[in-house]
Amino acid sequence: MRLSGSLDELKKTVGAGVIGFAVSALIMKVYGYDPISAYSALFNGAFGDSYGVAESLANATPLILTALTFAIGFRGGMFNIGAEGQLYLGALAAVTVSLFHLPSGIGFALSLIFAVLAGIIWSLPVAILKAVRGVHEVISTIMLNWISQFLSFYLVARILVDPLRAEKTISIAESARLPLLVPGTSLSYGIFVSVFVAVIVYFLLWRTVIGFDIRAVGHNPVAAAYAGIEKWKITLFVFLTGGLTAGLAGAVHVMGRPPIYAIYSGMPSIRGLGFEGLAIAMIGRNHPIGVIFAAIFFGGLLAGGRMMQLLAQVPLEMVRVVEGIIVLFLAIPELIRLFSFLRKAKLPLIFPYKRS
Amino acid sequence: MKHSTQKLMVTIFMVGMLVVGLVITPGMSQAALKGNVALVIDVGGRGDLSFNDMGYKGTEKAAADFDLKMVEIQSASAADYLPNIRNAARSRSFDLIIAVGFLLTDAVATVAGEYPDQKFMIIDSVVEAPNVMSIVFKENEGSALVGALAAMVAAHFGYPYVGAVLGIEIPVLYHFEAGYRFGIDWGNRAYAQKTGTDPRTGLLYTYTGTFSDIAKGKEATEAMLAQGAGLVYNIAGPLGIGDLQAITEAIKGKGKEAGPPFMIGVDANQDWMGDGHRVLASMLKRVDNACYNAIEAVVKGTFEASLIVMGLDVQGVAMSKEPELLTFMEFGIGAGKITEKDKDDIISNWKNMRAQIPSWIWNAVADLEKQIISGNISVPTANTLADIKAVRSKFPLTR
Repeated sequence: MRLSGSLDELKKTVGAGVIGFAVSALIMKVYGYDPISAYSALFNGAFGDSYGVAESLANATPLILTALTFAIGFRGGMFNIGAEGQLYLGALAAVTVSLFHLPSGIGFALSLIFAVLAGIIWSLPVAILKAVRGVHEVISTIMLNWISQFLSFYLVARILVDPLRAEKTISIAESARLPLLVPGTSLSYGIFVSVFVAVIVYFLLWRTVIGFDIRAVGHNPVAAAYAGIEKWKITLFVFLTGGLTAGLAGAVHVMGRPPIYAIYSGMPSIRGLGFEGLAIAMIGRNHPIGVIFAAIFFGGLLAGGRMMQLLAQVPLEMVRVVEGIIVLFLAIPELIRLFSFLRKAKLPLIFPYKRS
Repeated sequence: MKHSTQKLMVTIFMVGMLVVGLVITPGMSQAALKGNVALVIDVGGRGDLSFNDMGYKGTEKAAADFDLKMVEIQSASAADYLPNIRNAARSRSFDLIIAVGFLLTDAVATVAGEYPDQKFMIIDSVVEAPNVMSIVFKENEGSALVGALAAMVAAHFGYPYVGAVLGIEIPVLYHFEAGYRFGIDWGNRAYAQKTGTDPRTGLLYTYTGTFSDIAKGKEATEAMLAQGAGLVYNIAGPLGIGDLQAITEAIKGKGKEAGPPFMIGVDANQDWMGDGHRVLASMLKRVDNACYNAIEAVVKGTFEASLIVMGLDVQGVAMSKEPELLTFMEFGIGAGKITEKDKDDIISNWKNMRAQIPSWIWNAVADLEKQIISGNISVPTANTLADIKAVRSKFPLTR
């Protein structure tokens, strides 16, 4: 992506964001909340001081990785919404390692490796079904997300359950946790893992042959096939890499998020991180570097949203409405591109859905 | 084309400046007033007409009585628990931070250590710190009463089972389950003594793994009704709304309006739900009183970092009676579920519903209550999986 092109994208994003904020302000006003104190709380909470920045980055940590899952797929012309299910199993795999008492370095490394493997294994059926039988990934990922969810419920409540505290899994062993980057906040060293992986994905997509092939398939699968690119290899690569980042997202979240370093029954701390990644990929224009910034912005919305309740007495429901509207507007430019792409490629428009 | 794009950009810029101007100008700093109380709620959220709403109700009442400002903080994700409580403590503007619910335990423990001058109160959990008041309830005692009632009423109407729809497997819910099992067993024996036939009323129970997915409550209840459950005890906060949907559909499917089958409500007095004749009784857990008492203690300077256990003796738990029905109907009116003019119908329906149960059953339950309060009967409880397994094997309640 050239600099002028990036600038253009940035302008569009800022413009869309401004409209989003303005519309949200109007809605808050209509419902009797003070948009000025609400936004003041939002910005202060998100980026007002080092604490706010740390909280925003902490929220961004897993989201960068789940957004990459979608972005890599999108660059290859595939609609991979499987991050949610892969994330659950990644988090659970990391917890599983703590069942065994391992020396500190080994436990830490194994937690990450197991999480990555879990993510990859869960994306394997999607890749194979797509490559061999042409099964659309939207269908297979939705199905696998559900299977993953109920499998995870079972594992959390029955296998990984803390024998002394039935509401959660065992906690990640202290030696296997990602240490806090800023004590007294939720920010761990996991943010470096996420940013590092995003940069790697950038180089992968724009500086390697396989990356070129992925993007070629994404631009025009027919031409790519004509040029001798084997699509099944690309498909496999795209989904397995996506599974890798999603699995890792689960690990950095559970290994780096105080205070429990565990998963509650019903998984209320990790549910939705995969689908939120989808929105972030859209805001970040499905570009790994764009995704980093989009995730930090989104993380800021979440951190600031908490302060909207505390300082401006805007109830959570309205906070979510505001967040949703802003995100929707920010994603519009990319959504327009997506729709025109689908129309050109004569692909059916299939909407993923999420049941709360 | 180019020109219009530029115009658009200029417009967007202008709107942007306007919004930024509006946002930045006024006072950025919030005055740290004394006389504030924060109420932090877990992902179950408000609107459950039960546990969380009661915390809100008690806090709101205390705030009004003692002229305090109340700030409510809900949690969108379990990852918000710690930041929400920490943010409240960081603001240094709250005389008391109330954490409603067991799942906030670790977050309260962490932040209480970081801010030793900040007072906290947590409900349903014990945090041992010099600045935390912990309030817990003897849910086992209240559950024993409704268990006894359920077993006898099910037998009276010829149902083989009673049910329980539970939330996440946490120790608090084990208290309910243990007491309920004991109560059913006691009710079976009381029924056998009175009528000469042992009804052997069994228990169907499901841990749904959620305190928020109302559809799960409905599914679980439907399954229990299909197997012959005559009453279903809601032990999962908002899931009761789903439980009652299933029960209402079953009743209306028979062309009737009133139960059986009945629901048994939890935490709040939920007897008014279902038009007053589909919820036979509720196991009250006075979260509202707990919040009110804690705030009162702070205001009067008697706040202590202690463990307070509220049982049947202090009406911390109780089986629902008429006076609270009137108070708690305000919940339903506030939530728009019922209107002011439904009140009279609900009360007369409720009285008719209770009157169709033989008075000896009510007397038996009252007798059990007396014996528990006097200490003649001690109701088992459970805090761990091992404990509850022991209670389950003592009272298997299978048929």
